[in-house]
Amino acid sequence: MITLTDYLLLGAILFCLSVAGIFINRKNVIILLMSIELMLLAVNFNFIAFSAFMNDTAGQIFVFFILTVAAAESAIGLAILVVLFRNRQTINVTDLDTMRG
Amino acid sequence: MLRPLSLWLALISHLPALQVVLPLAAAPVCALWRRGAGAWALATTVCWLAFGIAVLLLRQVQAIGTLSYAMGGWAAPWGIEYRIDALNAFMLLLVTGIGAVVITFARQAAVERRVRLPVEKHAWFYATYLLCLTGLLGITITGDAFNLFVFLEISSLSSYALISVGRDRRALTAAYQYLIMGTIGATFILIGIGYLYVLTGTLNMEDLARRLPAVTPTRTAHAAFAFLTVGIGLKLALFPLHLWLPNAYAYGPSVVTAFFAATATKVSVYVLLRIFFTLFGAAFSFGTMQLDWVLLPLALAGIVSASLVAIFQNNVKRMLAYSSVAQIGYMLLGISLVSVTGLTAAIVHLFNHALMKGALFLALGCVSFRIGSAKLEDMAGLGRTMPWTMGAFTLGGLSLIGVPLTAGFISKWYLLLGILQRGWWPVAVLVLLTSLLALIYIWRVVEAAYFRPLPDGRAPPQEAPLFLLVPTWTLALANLYFGIDTSFSVGVARQAAELLLPGTAS
Repeated sequence: MITLTDYLLLGAILFCLSVAGIFINRKNVIILLMSIELMLLAVNFNFIAFSAFMNDTAGQIFVFFILTVAAAESAIGLAILVVLFRNRQTINVTDLDTMRG
Repeated sequence: MLRPLSLWLALISHLPALQVVLPLAAAPVCALWRRGAGAWALATTVCWLAFGIAVLLLRQVQAIGTLSYAMGGWAAPWGIEYRIDALNAFMLLLVTGIGAVVITFARQAAVERRVRLPVEKHAWFYATYLLCLTGLLGITITGDAFNLFVFLEISSLSSYALISVGRDRRALTAAYQYLIMGTIGATFILIGIGYLYVLTGTLNMEDLARRLPAVTPTRTAHAAFAFLTVGIGLKLALFPLHLWLPNAYAYGPSVVTAFFAATATKVSVYVLLRIFFTLFGAAFSFGTMQLDWVLLPLALAGIVSASLVAIFQNNVKRMLAYSSVAQIGYMLLGISLVSVTGLTAAIVHLFNHALMKGALFLALGCVSFRIGSAKLEDMAGLGRTMPWTMGAFTLGGLSLIGVPLTAGFISKWYLLLGILQRGWWPVAVLVLLTSLLALIYIWRVVEAAYFRPLPDGRAPPQEAPLFLLVPTWTLALANLYFGIDTSFSVGVARQAAELLLPGTAS
C-alpha cells in the first residue's frame, strides 16, 4: 500500500534535486530554467497526492493552473535567452556576468 | 431618468470585480492597436478609471466597513471571494494612483527612447503594463489564497517582460535573474499555500483564519509558515534575498522602474501583512514562531548595508534601487514591532515611500529622456538647465531623507514613536543615523546637479517637456501634501493596523 508519506517523500526528493540544480549549476542557464520547472513539478506532485488522499478534486484543478503558469514561465525565460543569444552569441553564465553592455 | 440610475447602482455593486476586470479586459484590446499612441490613450483612460473605482471602494469601505464580493455569484467558501477592508482599499488606491500617474508619463515619445522595441510593437508594452497592474490589483483585492498565487504570477510574468525591454543590454540578464528568483519565490509561496490547503481543506482566507488556530501546533503548519516567509521574502526583496532588485531596477526602462519601485514590492509587503496577521494571526506568527526576531535583525542589516552600498553607486537609478531595499527594511522594522503604532508606521511608510520613489524615478526618467543616461557624472550642472526636473528630484530626495514637512518625516516619526514605545533606544539611534546615510547619497546627486559646471563640448540639455513634468510634479507635490495633511494617510493606516491586530487597539 502506497501511503501519502511516500508520495510526499518523492515530492520532497524532486524538490531537493531542483534546489541543488539551481545552486550547484554555475554554467548553463537552460539548466537553471529546467530546475525551476522541476521545482514546480514537485509542488504539483504534492497537490495531486493531497487531492487524491482528501477526495477533493480542487487540488487537481490547481495543478492545471500551475502547469499553465510553469509553461508561461519557461516561455518567457526561453524568449529572453533567445534574445540574449542573438546579442552575444553565448548563454554561458560566466560570460554573461563579465561582459558589459 | 430611471435607467441610468439603476445602471449606476448595478455598476456600484460590481465595483470590486470591475477593479480587476477592467484592466484585464483592456490589455488584449491594447495589444490589437497598430500604433502605440492609441494604445497609450486607452491604457491611460483605463488606469484613471481604475483609480476612480479605488477611490469609490475606499469610500464605501469607510462608510459601511468590510466589503465582500462573490466572484460570478458563487458563494464564498466554494467560489472566489473578493474581500475589501481598510488595508486592501488603501493599497488599491495606492497601486491604481501610482499606476495612473506613471502611465500618463509613459507617452509614446517617452517610451520610445527607453525601450528596445520597434515602434509598431509599442502597443504590446502598454498591454503588458495593464496586465501587470491587473496582477497587482488582483493580489490586493482577492480573499482566496490560490487566487493570490495566480495573480502573483500574472504580475510577475508581465514584470519580467517589462524589465527585459530596457534599452540597456544588461536588462536581459537582469530580467532573467529576476525571473529565476521570482519563480523560486512564487514556488515557495505555492508550497506554503498547498500545505495550508491540506491542513484545513480550504483556501478562502477567512475560512483559513478560522480553522488554522486548531492545526498550528503541527509540523506541517510550521513548514508552511517557513515556506511562505522565504517566498514572500524573495518577492519583497528582504535583505539577504534582495539581489535581483538592484539590477532589475537599474536596467529596466525608467517608466517601468518608477511603477515597480512604487507598487510591486509594496504589494508584497501587503501579502506579508495579510498572511502573517490575518491568516496565521499575530499570536502565532510573532508569539510562537517569533518572526519578529527574524525580521528585526534582517531589517536593520538591510537598512544599514543597502544604504552604505547606495552611497558608492555611480548610476543614480541603481543608487535609488539600493535605497529601496533600505526603505523596505524600515517597513519590516515597523512590522517587527508588533504594535499598532509600529504597523501604522509600516503602512504609512508603504504609502509615502511609493510617493517619494515614484517622484524620484520619474524625475530620473525626465533626465534620461533628455541626456539618455542616469550616471552621476552626466548629471553635472543639470540644476541650471533642467531646473524643474531637478527641483522635483530634490523634493523627492528631501522626503526620502525625512525632512519635516515632507511625507518621509511622517513615516519616520511614527516609526520612532513605535520603537520608543518598546524602549529600544539603540534601534532608534540607528534609524536616525541611517537617515544621515540617505542624506549623503541624495546630496551626491544634488551636489552634481547644482554645484558642478556643465561638461564642455556638448549642447546643454533642455528642460523636459511639459507632459513629462506634470506627472513628475504631481507625485513630488503629493510628498509635500501628505507631509502636511496627514489625516488621510495616517488615519487609514491606523484603521488598517487596528484591523490587523484586533484586541490590542490602544
